[in-house]
Amino acid sequence: MFAFLLQSVASTFDRPAIDLHALAPEFVLTGALVVVLLVDLFTPKGSRGIVPSVAGIGILAAMVPVLTLALDGADRSMFGGAYVVDNFSLVLQAMFLLAAYVVVLLSTNYVAEGDYAEGEYYFLLLCALLGMLVMASSRDLITMFVALELLSIPAYMLAGWRKRDRRGNEAGVKYYLMGVFASAVMLYGMSLLYGISGSTLFSDIALAVARGNGLGDTTPLITLGVVFVLIGFAFKVSAVPFHTWAPDTYEGAPTPVTAFLAVSSKAAGFVALLQLILIAFIGRDDVVGPLMWVLAALTMTVGNLIALRQTNIVRMLAYSGVAQAGFMLAPLAVVGSNSDGARSAVVTYLLIYAAMNLGAFAVVLIVARKTRSAEIASWGGLFEYAPGLTVLMTVFLFSLAGIPPLGGWLAKFVVFRALLSPDLTAGGVILAVVVGVNSVIALYYYANVARQMWMNPVPDGDRTPVRIPFSLAAAVTLSVVLTVAFGVSDLATHLGDLATFLPA
Amino acid sequence: MVAQNVFFYLLAGIILFSAFRVVTSNNVVHAALYLVAVLAAVAAEYVLLAAEFVAATQVLVYIGAIIVLFLFGIMLTRAKLGSDQDLTHPHWALSAATAVVMFGVMGYALVDQFHWTATPLPADTRLVSVDGSNSATVSDSVFTAYLVPFEVVSVLLLAALVGAIVLARKD
Amino acid sequence: MSDFLRDYLTVGIFGLTGVALVGLLLGLGSLLRPTRPQPQKYINYESGVDPVGTGWGQSNVRYYIFALLFVMFDVEAVFIFPFATRVDAYGWFGLIEMGIFIVVLALGLLYAWKKKVLRWV
Repeated sequence: MFAFLLQSVASTFDRPAIDLHALAPEFVLTGALVVVLLVDLFTPKGSRGIVPSVAGIGILAAMVPVLTLALDGADRSMFGGAYVVDNFSLVLQAMFLLAAYVVVLLSTNYVAEGDYAEGEYYFLLLCALLGMLVMASSRDLITMFVALELLSIPAYMLAGWRKRDRRGNEAGVKYYLMGVFASAVMLYGMSLLYGISGSTLFSDIALAVARGNGLGDTTPLITLGVVFVLIGFAFKVSAVPFHTWAPDTYEGAPTPVTAFLAVSSKAAGFVALLQLILIAFIGRDDVVGPLMWVLAALTMTVGNLIALRQTNIVRMLAYSGVAQAGFMLAPLAVVGSNSDGARSAVVTYLLIYAAMNLGAFAVVLIVARKTRSAEIASWGGLFEYAPGLTVLMTVFLFSLAGIPPLGGWLAKFVVFRALLSPDLTAGGVILAVVVGVNSVIALYYYANVARQMWMNPVPDGDRTPVRIPFSLAAAVTLSVVLTVAFGVSDLATHLGDLATFLPA
Repeated sequence: MVAQNVFFYLLAGIILFSAFRVVTSNNVVHAALYLVAVLAAVAAEYVLLAAEFVAATQVLVYIGAIIVLFLFGIMLTRAKLGSDQDLTHPHWALSAATAVVMFGVMGYALVDQFHWTATPLPADTRLVSVDGSNSATVSDSVFTAYLVPFEVVSVLLLAALVGAIVLARKD
Repeated sequence: MSDFLRDYLTVGIFGLTGVALVGLLLGLGSLLRPTRPQPQKYINYESGVDPVGTGWGQSNVRYYIFALLFVMFDVEAVFIFPFATRVDAYGWFGLIEMGIFIVVLALGLLYAWKKKVLRWV
């Protein structure tokens, strides 16, 4: 009876073709994370300072095959289309690697000076990064789900890394509970989609989902499957009403981890949403469009209104990140009429958002080294003792607000363009108005921080200059260069247009 | 076919009763043990569906390992175990109503799609049976279509272990 | 009923027979043995001494880590079972892929060992 466990089977097996070049970024990164773990295990306690360097070098090394694949230019597809290397995956993988490198720079001093497990911190960071790389290439439900778990589970633990701090524990537990709940809902949706299509491949699901009831209309089960899967990722990108974990988690987590969650993890959610909406659910914009419309409008409005009342800069950035997610969701509401424009707009926005938000967090980290506080009030008179930093923070804040000629302005512009072209639709126009109103509201709280820095007096009268460690200086420089470059050149829009999917 | 249906409803009854007790039990340990009954009956349902490998996995991983983690977790966090009156959430009626509505929606959608007839799954070309052996079929799909997720799972487990050790360690 | 389920019916009948046998013997015993209830008979048995405190104690966090290690290698076993049925057909390819999987998991064991969480003091 248990022959099924022992039965010797003689039939032949077709070995899948494995393109080592295509998988090289993942292999290099896996090698790097193994090295990080071994370095942590086999070096004496005093010399663990090399761990962040090893992690950084590993990330940069993984960038090399991404660049060679980009130069090669050929689209590659493996495992029956479940795992691909196309322009989209390469652009997003490059972004994930660069963002993670900046996060390593942000973490170096913070983690070394705090009471943290250092080696494991970078190990988990690289594990989450590997999940993101896999996410950008996955065109299959199972691959995507495993990638999501690989990028989430290390993030849950990193959020609770300050394990002796009650707020740190709250951050980890809240994020974890909300995250696994979202995963469960999503998994149920995936099982429905598998039941409908009989396949986990996005291309097969697209056929079954577009066929609908045979007349091209959706059926309740398809609607339910699509909505459940999308809601699972709405948690990841902290869309309202699934955002409740974000402020407490952002505040309680170590600040570099907050930056990682706000940028990389959120971007990974958008990458998944783009792939699902534009490949698997492409024929079902009658379901996706309205859902995204409501999510986008709610997310930016609620995020902005709550951000107005924040007095803690990390919480303010958390809610502003919620609002920014709303702006990024907006183009997805018009996938039916402008799918290429929506993809390009979201990718462009993601690239710019990563640069400016990481920059803002870097400045927050630098200032907190002196003021030991994250209250906006403690930023008073920053200009008097750190004029350079003040200018940089103003650049990041005005970019987040969308003021030309900085990157954030271009990001807003591509969203408007996607919403209003190729022809005006009622839904697109109304959403564009909502985006416009929200941009104005957002300006208020970003400008409030700027006013605090430029105009208000120093709260404790301590005007000693701020010492900036090398790694943080490098992170700020990289972010500000990209933020300005994205604003004055068409680099980001160009990459956004370039990031096309492999035709199914 | 008839005997199969009889067993199906028998097992479904066990699952429903045990699942109900999981959420209504006043003792967390009892709730966890009722969960074992739910999982075991689900494993038996898998056997009815001729999915032996899934059934074996269910017993090995869920009943054998996950429940053990549950029990250790419970014993770790609560020193005094026994019946607790505060286990019931104050908004339980609202949650129950939500659950009923969700059940209605999902049930309606499933019946609408597949009706009350047995619908064979569309054949996935990547999951053709290998010499009638269930596990061999699973193995072949793991080593062809799902090779990347398979390897990624090992990193995932490693990350979970390392993270858990860091958070649980006393230093 | 298919042959497949008939096989499992045998398992079911075997299980039911087992339960019935135990019930029968215990029932028979309760009919034959004398019944003299005393409160002392309901005290938990603790090696002959009177038990102290309640039956439940808070468990050590070490148990949790051991359980976690167990889960990890349990999942490994789940993947190895089907692999074993096809190992001939896969040849070197299968060994390399499974080798990567096992080595990565073994790193977890190495980590636990080096961080001394396996030590029982």
